[in-house]
Amino acid sequence: MPHPVELHSLTKTYGERTVVDRVSFHVGQGEIVGFLGPNGAGKTTTLRMIAGYLAPTSGQVTVAGHDVIRSPSASASAVGYAPERPALYDSFDVLGYLRFVARAKRVHRADMASQLDRVVAACRLEAVARSDVYKLSKGYRQRLGLGQALLGQPEVLLLDEPTSGLDPGQISETREVIRSFGSDHSVLLSTHILPEVTLLCDRIAILHHGRLLAIDSPSGLGTAVGRANRVELQVAPGGPPGLKDRLLDVSGVVRVDINDRQAPYSVNCAVESSGNVEAAIARAVSRDWELLALRRHDPSLEDVFLHYVESAA
Amino acid sequence: MSGVLAVYGKEIKLYFRSPIAYFVLAVFLLGTGYFFSYNLFVSGLATMRETFQNMGLLAVILLPAVSMRLFATEYSAGTYELLATLPLAPWEVVVGKYLGALTMLGLMALGTMLDLVPLYLFGAPETTTIISGYLGFLLLGSTCLAIGQLCSSLTRNQIVAALVTVSILLGFWFVGHLQSFQTVQFLRELFLYISFAWHFGEFIEGLARFESLALFVLFSVGALTLNVCALEWRR
Repeated sequence: MPHPVELHSLTKTYGERTVVDRVSFHVGQGEIVGFLGPNGAGKTTTLRMIAGYLAPTSGQVTVAGHDVIRSPSASASAVGYAPERPALYDSFDVLGYLRFVARAKRVHRADMASQLDRVVAACRLEAVARSDVYKLSKGYRQRLGLGQALLGQPEVLLLDEPTSGLDPGQISETREVIRSFGSDHSVLLSTHILPEVTLLCDRIAILHHGRLLAIDSPSGLGTAVGRANRVELQVAPGGPPGLKDRLLDVSGVVRVDINDRQAPYSVNCAVESSGNVEAAIARAVSRDWELLALRRHDPSLEDVFLHYVESAA
Repeated sequence: MSGVLAVYGKEIKLYFRSPIAYFVLAVFLLGTGYFFSYNLFVSGLATMRETFQNMGLLAVILLPAVSMRLFATEYSAGTYELLATLPLAPWEVVVGKYLGALTMLGLMALGTMLDLVPLYLFGAPETTTIISGYLGFLLLGSTCLAIGQLCSSLTRNQIVAALVTVSILLGFWFVGHLQSFQTVQFLRELFLYISFAWHFGEFIEGLARFESLALFVLFSVGALTLNVCALEWRR
């Protein structure tokens, strides 16, 4: 049985410039996959090709088993797409706009009212349902953009920066909508917000310069990167000067930053990833200073992201 | 077909929520009404012939204001990204928008029918000539709109779309005059054959010829087909 979204060696070029370079992955049923990548990585172009807005230069995209190029209507029926900049008609009112999208998605007349009610409630649009779109705040516009994507009960939701421009309360509500949709559908979302990916996504795809660098669960990516290259110490004040030099003498320690403005002193050591350097650091410090705590950090998503991007560079 | 109706409904809503539809209708009806009253009460001509001639030229100048926004504003506002990713075939978008614009044209024609009341009261006009004139006006207008919609699909700027459309339409309107400067028979016939004014003039005279009807339909279908191709090409 095909996955709801499958990309096979997807490539998009503009003249000499390759924007998406042989990207292949899939999104499973009930799975939320996050797209991470710096600006210009090719996230939006990839989403647009899956949504059918752009045709790939080569490669293939299938949505719900339908080839996006050969069966555009069938694949578009299976997709709800919310672009980064919500595509709204300003002279419509909110319900009029949603009604147009529902008609275009061939929502049956008998189901129209219930679908509109469900979307309005899910996206918390009740207060502005009769307002003109041009009067909406940025947050409401973003939510209306998400709402139109939910209409027609699509199998796959494609979201380009769905929480950009929202306040913290709205971000939390939007994440809840995505999470509830993702429990039994497939979601592919792009974002710059690293905690959002950790909170929402089952798997993370890292894209850089149009190439897919990695795709795995957050823990899987952390394991693949290896242990973090950072050891944090807390040292009681009052010892002799020269803590920094002592730490730099330890084999494997690359850089030391000490914050001695308040007690206890906080010390950050950048270390080489291989070898067990913590024991050596502990021995070196405890000879002359009182070591209160020592911790090697688990790799954060930021560490993972930077590791892949810097490795690719 | 439901996709066409969805787009059509949206277009109608957008027309009447923007001032352009009212402006075009008002200018067109004021213009044709003025010329009709002048011909009837000052020149004493109780026919629609002169009014139809003015309607044709006004349509060529004003209809680009109706068609200019059809795609250009969708591109510039980013709403085309929604249209292109909904389960709508490009032809459904093109036909839905075109039908919306044709509705505007129909309203313009309908408005001028008020002129027929005094005409039938004070004169004895030929009904078949009037029907032929309206048929010619609708064919000319639908061709103008199809060309305007094609131009709109090629640019993000609706002013550019309107200017290019007016230039093309005026070209086809006046191209018949070039035959006077030609000695080559083929070119003389060609310039006359592609002249919108000449074919429209035939309809005004009550000559609803297949040749003229075919030309307008051919231009309209050709422009709409190119419009669909332009949307496919954008992907």
